[in-house]
Amino acid sequence: MYSARMKMADIITDSKILSVLERLNIKLGFGEATIEEICNKYHLSTHLFLMICNIYSFDDFTPNIDGLTENDIPKIIGYLKKSHEYWLNSCFPQLHKNIHTMLDSCDEVNKNVLNKFYDDYDVEVKKHLDYEEHTVFPYILSLGKEKGSFRIKDFEENHSDLDEKLSDLKNIVMKYLPEAYVSQARIDVLNDIFKIEEDLNKHTVIENSLLIPLVSKIEQ
Amino acid sequence: MPVKKYKIVLIEPSQMVAIGLKSMIETNPQFLVIASLTDLAKYNEFQHGTADIIILNPMVVKNTTSNLQSVVPVRGNAVYIAITYGPYNESELHQYDGFIGIYNSAAQICKRLQAALDSVSDKPKQDNGNELSVREQEILTAVAKGKSNKEIADEFNLSIHTVITHRKNISHKLGINSISGLTIYAIINKLIDVTDF
Repeated sequence: MYSARMKMADIITDSKILSVLERLNIKLGFGEATIEEICNKYHLSTHLFLMICNIYSFDDFTPNIDGLTENDIPKIIGYLKKSHEYWLNSCFPQLHKNIHTMLDSCDEVNKNVLNKFYDDYDVEVKKHLDYEEHTVFPYILSLGKEKGSFRIKDFEENHSDLDEKLSDLKNIVMKYLPEAYVSQARIDVLNDIFKIEEDLNKHTVIENSLLIPLVSKIEQ
Repeated sequence: MPVKKYKIVLIEPSQMVAIGLKSMIETNPQFLVIASLTDLAKYNEFQHGTADIIILNPMVVKNTTSNLQSVVPVRGNAVYIAITYGPYNESELHQYDGFIGIYNSAAQICKRLQAALDSVSDKPKQDNGNELSVREQEILTAVAKGKSNKEIADEFNLSIHTVITHRKNISHKLGINSISGLTIYAIINKLIDVTDF
């Protein structure tokens, strides 16, 4: 587990932590500074920063909201929004491109159904993210200022899992498309899916274990 | 109660080892060595029929890259056991279901034969466990055609509960949960025609 006195540079051992920094707007070039020093500089709670990094790096880490306050909420939301942006502008377009390449070599029927499957999924993803950005996040940020009818538990009910269809797609590409398909494109597609799956997974942990409990506490 | 005898074919160039092994194996009444041969050419002449266990010295197999079942063919579900004289290379033995060493005791040898037999009797079950049964394929086809659980239950004369159980098993086996994903599986595997919907 990471701690506040560790050097920031020492915990950046993979692309996951690197993207956490990017999503929190922490710039590279911090020399020998510790995590605590950097967090202070960016007016970010060290506790929150460590919580997010631990979620990404340690699969058995159990996050909790002890030590987090209302003031951390805008930062969490900023983080989630940045992740959405990254998926929409980079991850999903790349996956889409690789799916196209993969399907180029396959027969018309499979091509059409898989294209349709992906297009439907794409719509679902956009709808989901749009709902969070335009309904859930504004509500959370307005908490205490105005009274609306929305409650965070509505979000939980609406919080359909985007990973189900992604996992279906993974198994179809991995197990069930005929062997004859161009294998490099297929591997590229799978690598994209693995990456998105893991990120989605951690994202959901942040929403369910940090954001929602924190907001429920304030609602009471 | 009659004991089921497992028929064993032994392929070992050293007669000394072959005779020793035969007498050790047959200390266990459920094993019977039906033939003891010195090389593969003899095996090919031999009417091997339905042996349950083939014990062979890997040295007799010249072409180690080809499939053992094609080099030493046998009808049915036989297990292949290697005889090892000394340290062995694991990668060379990966095609075998087990191995015995010349320093093993009779009890150890029989135990290894039994373990290999057990592992193979489980095998077909597991393999089928990963493929869809005929009934599951029928239900998957119906799901892909957009039928509801109720419609499927009526069509196949099942309770809705049973249909749901089948659907859970199908998704678990395939790793596909969404209806659209299952539909794609059905199309790729030609269970349904695209013109069906």
